[in-house]
Amino acid sequence: MCMKLLAEGNTLQLVNINFDTIIFTLINTLIIFLLYKFLLHNKVMAVLDERKEKVNSEMNAAEAAQAEAEAVKQEYAQRLEQSKEEASQIVAAAVKRAGEREAEIIAQANQEAAAIRIKAEESIELEKKKAINEIKDQIADIVIMASEKVCEKEISAKENEALINKFIAEVGNE
Amino acid sequence: MPNGYMKLLAEETARTFTVDGPLKSITFDFLGREWVISESVVVQWVVMVVLAIFFFVLGRNLKVKPTSRRQMIAEYIVGTFTGQVDDAMGPNYKAYRPYIGSLFCFIFLSCIMGIFGLRNPTSDVSVTGAWAIITFVLVFWTKLKTGGVKGFLKSYVEPAPFMLPFNIIGDFANPIAQALRLFGNNVSGMVIGGLVYFALGGIAGGLASIGIPAVLSLYFDLFSAFIQSYIFVTLTMAYVSMADAS
Repeated sequence: MCMKLLAEGNTLQLVNINFDTIIFTLINTLIIFLLYKFLLHNKVMAVLDERKEKVNSEMNAAEAAQAEAEAVKQEYAQRLEQSKEEASQIVAAAVKRAGEREAEIIAQANQEAAAIRIKAEESIELEKKKAINEIKDQIADIVIMASEKVCEKEISAKENEALINKFIAEVGNE
Repeated sequence: MPNGYMKLLAEETARTFTVDGPLKSITFDFLGREWVISESVVVQWVVMVVLAIFFFVLGRNLKVKPTSRRQMIAEYIVGTFTGQVDDAMGPNYKAYRPYIGSLFCFIFLSCIMGIFGLRNPTSDVSVTGAWAIITFVLVFWTKLKTGGVKGFLKSYVEPAPFMLPFNIIGDFANPIAQALRLFGNNVSGMVIGGLVYFALGGIAGGLASIGIPAVLSLYFDLFSAFIQSYIFVTLTMAYVSMADAS
C-alpha cells in the first residue's frame, strides 16, 4: 500500500483557498441570515413579545379584578352587618312600639270599661229613681183609691185597720 | 504536497481510494475574469433551498395562543438560539440573535449533507474561511464600536506593550483556527468514512460495506456535525463578546 497525491483536471485542490467560493459563501450566508431573520426569527419573536404583553396585561387585569372583588366583598360584608344591625333595631323598635301600644290599648280598654260601668251605674240609679217615683205615684193613687173606698163604706176602726193592712199587703205583693 | 489530492493505492487489488477537492461545477465569465462555482457552493444552494422551505414552513401562521406542534418547534429553535446569544453575549447584542441562529442552521445542514450523498460544503476551507472572515470583521467592528479608535489601538498593548505582536497574531489566529477546526473535522470525517468504506469493500466481496459505514456516518455526519456547528457559533459569540471594550 502506498499513498500518493494526485491531481485531476476538473476538481479544486482539497486544501485551497478559492476567492470565488469565499465570495459566494458570504453571499449565501447573508441570504440565509435574511431568510432566517424574516421568515422565522422576527415572526417568532413578534409572537413571543405579543404573548408576553398579553400575559402581562391579563395578569394585571386579573389582579385588578381580584382587588375589585375583594373590595366588593368587603363592602357587601359591611352592608350585611349594617342591615343586620338595622333589622335588629327595627325589631327592637317594633317590639317597643308593640309594648307601648299594648299598654295604651289596655289603658284605653280600662278607661272604656270604667266609663261603661259608670254609665251603667248611672242608668241603674236612674231606673231605680224612676221605679221609686212610679211606686210613689202608684201608692198615692192607691191611697186615694183606698180613701175613696173608706169613704164609701162605713167601717169601723178595726175594720179600717184591717183594710189598711190588707192594702199594704196587696201593695207588697204587687 | 504539490496538489491537495490524496489517492490511496492498493497495489495488489489495483483498487484506488481518492479524496478529491470540490468539483468545479460551473464556470462563467463576469467582470473580465473567469468565476468558478465549486461543488461546495452548489451544495450550499441545496442547503439554502432546504432551509428556506424549513424556515418558511416553521414561521408560517404563528399564533399568540399556540395550537400546533410546528409552532412549538419554531419557538423552541428560536428561543434556544436567543437564549444562547443572551447568555454568552449579554443584552447588548440582540442583533446577533438571528445571525447566530442562521449560522448554526447553515453550518449544521452543510455538515450533514454527506448523509444524502453530497459533498459537505464544510469540507472546503474556503467555505469555513468565509465564515471565519465574518467573525474576524465582527470582532474588529465590535472593538472599534465599543472602544473607539483609541480603545481599539490600546487593546493591542494590553496588558503590557510587549504583548503587541501576540495580540495581533491572536486576532488573526482565532478566526483561522476557527475555520481550520471546522474544515479539519469535516474533511477528516470524510476521509475516515471513505477509507472505511474502501477497506470494507475488499472484505467478503463488498458485503461488509453494508451497515458498518452507516454507524460511522451517524457519528461523523450527525454527532460531530452538531458539535462542530455548536463550537463554531459559540466561538464566534465568545470572540465578539471578548472584543467588547465596555
